[in-house]
Amino acid sequence: MLTLSGIFAGYGGGDVLQGLDLEVPTGAITCIVGPNGAGKSTVLRVVSGLLRPRLGTIELDGTRLDRLGCAGVLGKGVAQVPQSQALFPQMSIRENVLLGGFTLRRDKRLLNQRFERVADLIPIVRERSHDKAGNLSGGQRRMVEIARCLMVEPTVLLLDEPSLGLDPMSLTGVSQLVRDANAAGTTVLLVEQNVRLGLSMATHGVVLEGGRVRLEAPAHELMANPEVAELYLGGAPATHGAGAHPTVPQPVDSGTVG
Amino acid sequence: MTTLGRIRALTSGRSGRLVPLLLFVVLVGYPVVFPFAIYEQGVLLLAFLLALMAVSWNIVSGFAGYVSLGHSVFLGLGAYTGGLLAEHFQVNPLWFMPVGGLVAFVAATLVGMVVLRARGHAFVIITIALLLAMQVLVNNFSQVTHGSNGVNVPLPTWSSDYQNMPFYYMFLALLAATVGFAAWVRRTKFGTGLLAIREDEDKAAAIGVNTTRYKVLAYAASAVPIGVAGVVYAYFLSFLNPIGAFSLLTSVTIVLSALLGGRGTLWGPVLGGFVVTIVTEVANVYGGGTDSRLLVLGLALVLVVLFLPRGVLPAISARLARRRAAAQTVEYTDQAGVASARTPIVVSPRSAPAAQTPGRTAAPLLEIRGAARSFGGLRAVDGVDLTVEAGSITALIGPNGSGKTTLFNLVTGAMSLGSGEIWFDGTRIDQLPPWERAHLGLGRTFQITRLFKSMTVLENVVAPLPTAGWGLMAKDAVSGHEAERARELLDFVGLGRFGAQQAGSLSYGQQKLVELAQVLMLEPKMILLDEPAGGINPTLINRMVEIIRDLNRQGIAFLVVEHNIPLVLDLCDPVAVLSRGQVIAQGPPSIVRADPAVLEAYLGPEWLPADPVPGPVLKPADLSVKGG
Amino acid sequence: MTQLVQALVLGLLIGGVYALMASGLTLIFGVMNIINVAHGALLILVAFLTWKTWSVTGIDPILLAVVMTPLMFGVGWLLYKGVLSRISGSSPGMSVLLTFGIAITIEGILNVTAGNKFRSATPSYFSQSFRILGISLPKAQVYGCIAAVLVLGLLYVVLAKTWTGRAIRATAQNPSGAALIGIQASGVAALAFAIGTATTGVGGSVLSVLYPFFPASHYDWISRLLGIIVLGGMGSLAGALVGAIVLGLAETLTATYVSLQWSTLIFYAVIMIVLLFRPQGLFGSRLRQDVMA
Repeated sequence: MLTLSGIFAGYGGGDVLQGLDLEVPTGAITCIVGPNGAGKSTVLRVVSGLLRPRLGTIELDGTRLDRLGCAGVLGKGVAQVPQSQALFPQMSIRENVLLGGFTLRRDKRLLNQRFERVADLIPIVRERSHDKAGNLSGGQRRMVEIARCLMVEPTVLLLDEPSLGLDPMSLTGVSQLVRDANAAGTTVLLVEQNVRLGLSMATHGVVLEGGRVRLEAPAHELMANPEVAELYLGGAPATHGAGAHPTVPQPVDSGTVG
Repeated sequence: MTTLGRIRALTSGRSGRLVPLLLFVVLVGYPVVFPFAIYEQGVLLLAFLLALMAVSWNIVSGFAGYVSLGHSVFLGLGAYTGGLLAEHFQVNPLWFMPVGGLVAFVAATLVGMVVLRARGHAFVIITIALLLAMQVLVNNFSQVTHGSNGVNVPLPTWSSDYQNMPFYYMFLALLAATVGFAAWVRRTKFGTGLLAIREDEDKAAAIGVNTTRYKVLAYAASAVPIGVAGVVYAYFLSFLNPIGAFSLLTSVTIVLSALLGGRGTLWGPVLGGFVVTIVTEVANVYGGGTDSRLLVLGLALVLVVLFLPRGVLPAISARLARRRAAAQTVEYTDQAGVASARTPIVVSPRSAPAAQTPGRTAAPLLEIRGAARSFGGLRAVDGVDLTVEAGSITALIGPNGSGKTTLFNLVTGAMSLGSGEIWFDGTRIDQLPPWERAHLGLGRTFQITRLFKSMTVLENVVAPLPTAGWGLMAKDAVSGHEAERARELLDFVGLGRFGAQQAGSLSYGQQKLVELAQVLMLEPKMILLDEPAGGINPTLINRMVEIIRDLNRQGIAFLVVEHNIPLVLDLCDPVAVLSRGQVIAQGPPSIVRADPAVLEAYLGPEWLPADPVPGPVLKPADLSVKGG
Repeated sequence: MTQLVQALVLGLLIGGVYALMASGLTLIFGVMNIINVAHGALLILVAFLTWKTWSVTGIDPILLAVVMTPLMFGVGWLLYKGVLSRISGSSPGMSVLLTFGIAITIEGILNVTAGNKFRSATPSYFSQSFRILGISLPKAQVYGCIAAVLVLGLLYVVLAKTWTGRAIRATAQNPSGAALIGIQASGVAALAFAIGTATTGVGGSVLSVLYPFFPASHYDWISRLLGIIVLGGMGSLAGALVGAIVLGLAETLTATYVSLQWSTLIFYAVIMIVLLFRPQGLFGSRLRQDVMA
């Protein structure tokens, strides 16, 4: 269980998160939705250690994360795929992915083993192995970013707007990757602007507003919630939306959402 | 508070104008009241000179953000020009003030045209090199310059009773003129363009700012007052040598003054010039000569950068602003404002003819023929042929990495074309710089919005330049007519009441709308939209769609890159599909949707035409429209 | 003919030394996007310390690099931790101004403590030369060039083949991306700055023998070194090497065939011509910069 309690955090111009309390259940896919500026990405940044909260605590199964910094948080098995680009543009794809295992650098065998696994999972890692990351398109970069995160086999995966800039096929790929990782036991916490997509991928949904949790419920309940529909799903109640029209084509065996 | 706001508060506020005016009167009266304070007058006139140079430096390094570390080179050029000519003709050097300014102008323009075409750091480095090169050059050309023997400038002709008083008034007058010049530059379109370059140079080029011309001109403008002052300086010194005239120490004091007072502000460099002169004078008198002066200046520079990075004036006004803003709260609006009623508007007089025939006219507006561009070994765009007809909303879809954004960059000129041709409205544009393409009526928005975040929303919207005219540069930045137009456009996108807010404080979706309004100031014939619906919520998406339709009815053509397929199929006709850098299908949405090559390349095998619409959905009502 | 070969060989030797001096500058720029204007002043500082030690103890000045390098590594570390790290995240213009301030401070300290006069270390081989096939190779130049090659080789290996090097390059290209994979950006930046500064330990000792210097010589050096990395392409180690050799050759050729006093100007002329046709420098890399997400 990842627990955030009483978090106040911001970027100097006032607190974006204003006393946030949030519990992310182990083994679930939790999706945070909310209007622009509500603090969604900030939640991920405080968890991953990119931003230190001003007040409040973050615990993963009883261990404090909030004072560890990025490297420390990563050491506890929490890895983040950020919203904007995180790759090293002048390095090859292979080097980029290998660097994902920076914290494992002492164990060369493990590193190579992990690399092979990740490359099996995400084909582009092998296909474009020697291309520079700077020459990839937005969607390809996102795949490599996820690949890089998987090098540490995280117990908690943080995803910031996985759909941003992705075409439908890459989107299918990314959401499948998320489900696979989740099926393998990874807890996923994701932020998504595309509410319908995010909630359809998730098992739990959280609505953030003004830096606090406004609603928290199983994802399909949130999809059916008229208020949520009014605000974030374009004004139409989604009564026949969630289960009947999955926004991303799903394999038959993983249709757990509806 | 924005930099602009700060400047405004200090110049147009009543106290802001009164304080400098009062000081000016005091300084004018000072020698009259204390005619025998010769030492004090000497210190003050050096302060005027330094302030003048700092104000000039600020035009290129403060407004445009290109730091010059060798700015005293223009003082040396002016001084040598005046000194040598005066020596040769044996006349008063002051006659040559215009020549001094001209020489500085020419030198800055020539160097600028080489170094400032590119972005980045070459400029800083060349400015140091230029100063040293001039030292060497003046030394080496000893037939003309007398090398290290120096130049003896004719002595002042006025009665020695006046001492330096005439110089005092000359430098004071030059300082006043320079401040006036800098204030005028800042107020014009030219000044706004320089700020835009400082914030985001590529974006500035995309909205029609001729960045090369602006940068070179800024450098030249910052050289001229110093060149003119250099002539007076030669007269004042009455002896010149290369090391003294092209002094590195002077450059250091210029930089320090501007930085201390407030880089980018109007009065900061003036304040800094006075403080630095007086402090170095004190250090000279009490601190043991020139050697220690260097140490003091160096340490001062380090300390200012570390602890007062924005300078004294901005720090003061920021503190005042904070006190004022303490009571105000932050708004987290997203739906409000944009969701309110929109005012209708006629946006594009240039494309008015097309408006009379709604829908499509057959004329091709944009034609791309065999366009190609590689990065390293990768052919990102590989022989694209694409036509956008006048009045159409053409979609460009395709998998990630298929080259859509690269194609945008080729069309707008952010990147150069490898091979092929691009024609827009009858003109071949592929060799034109980005701003000329903008002037032809080609606008674009960015995948991640790129507003000038420290300017207000209104200033952002008035920033674009629809034509290349030199006259336009000298016009007031926020003049009545244009400001009105910008407000209309903001109302049109539903953000009228955010005009005075800092652009960076808006939400992502709102920024997208502001960017669209900004592009509309160009009076475009065609707008390239890079993922208009990406990263914004469905309510705003609907608003965006309405706006696009509205504009299209008035004759503006669109080329849209978007991953939201239902939106594309609903809004756009025709649709072009890009894959691996080539157009693999083009036509009405229904045909493209059924094309097996498209399904394979883009939508994926799970997509069957009979399926309900996958991907991000606008609203269920839209589904029925496109179901069959 | 011999004269030409002589000029070319000498140009290459000088170029090697220039490359050594520019390498740290380009490394720091590449990793931190900081133009370290103080690099020249640090070189002069080392040259002065080397000269002082040599004149007191008589130890070979070039050999003193062994002491100066770790010393300057420490100085670089402290400079970064104490001063430069405070402005990390602000605009590149500020870092230029800051390092400019540091340069002047160092010059001021040297002025006050050591006085404003020319100095040069003159060990026994100072005026001796190796003679091969009629060409004379000044011993000091040869030793300097050997030191340069060693340092450059070592730098390359560290950057390309070690995890430290990867961490440095990763941070150079994307600081927040590096943080997310567990690289501590501040530590890496300090390390890179320290390594870059350490190269002045070798560069300065070599300088003390090869060139007379005084406190204000650093302007001359920094503009020459910055010229080299502009010419080669900012941040590129290979570019710095090529730029340095171009400078070395331009200088010796001008000195041989025109006159010594024009040789510096020729170099600036070369830079302007190159920038006219290739604004990004000879080796400036241009990746696609269009993809923002």
